[in-house]
Amino acid sequence: MKNIDEITRLTADDLERISLDKSIPVPEELSGKVQQAVRGRTLRWAVPTSVAAAIAILLAAGLTRNPEPKDTFDDPYLAYAEVEKVFSKISGTVAYGADKISESEATLDKYSYWK
Amino acid sequence: MKRIYALLVMLAVSITAFAQNGRSLYNKYSDYDNVEAVYISPAMFRLIGKIPDMELQEGNVNLGPVIKSLTGLYILSTTREDIAADLAADVNHFIKRGSYELLMEAKDNGEVMRLYTVGDEQIVNSLVMLARDAAETSFICLDGTMPRDELETLIAEAAER
Repeated sequence: MKNIDEITRLTADDLERISLDKSIPVPEELSGKVQQAVRGRTLRWAVPTSVAAAIAILLAAGLTRNPEPKDTFDDPYLAYAEVEKVFSKISGTVAYGADKISESEATLDKYSYWK
Repeated sequence: MKRIYALLVMLAVSITAFAQNGRSLYNKYSDYDNVEAVYISPAMFRLIGKIPDMELQEGNVNLGPVIKSLTGLYILSTTREDIAADLAADVNHFIKRGSYELLMEAKDNGEVMRLYTVGDEQIVNSLVMLARDAAETSFICLDGTMPRDELETLIAEAAER
């Protein structure tokens, strides 16, 4: 029986020669142990690998389902005008809100004055 | 191992959340009949930013400081009631999923306008406006890395005009 150090020093040719040597007895339980070790290792990585693959598929599907749209404008001046229109609309909303706040403050001031 | 699972689940959730954005809504509704759609790409924004001394009409707002930080503009507008209802529902869903916060809400003669932003104290990553009245529903989404101070100043200046 060889010890671990001796086994690690063996070359690939030595290992092949020993494996082909029918005179060396193979323990009966060895085959089962090897299969068990391989199956355990496979199962341990099967779940994370499957999850990672599923995520990769989801990501790929998400990217292909959501492609970049085509630009509406070819002319940057027209695009700029559109952005300006957007800001005017947003500002209009903000201005309306600010007006309402001013009106409320004025009403509150009036009420405080007469009180 | 549990940490790896948790990480993978978080990754999956973030991917799903990422899929909900202005672009996905634009892609869903822009080809419908009776929907007006406008998209301005990051490349076009870069082009706009390179134009020297953008000629502005008198009285218009100078968007220069903010425009270079924009990476996408999506506009959807419809007068069809069924599409409007779906669009509003989808926008509300994406607002909730995207952790947007309500900046302001204005109601005037049946029209409801809501402004939402997402980002931090310094940067606004996205600004969304949803306006609805009896006749029309409009959705505007501006994406980018907009300095919050500059954006607020710009809106305030425009509001004064």
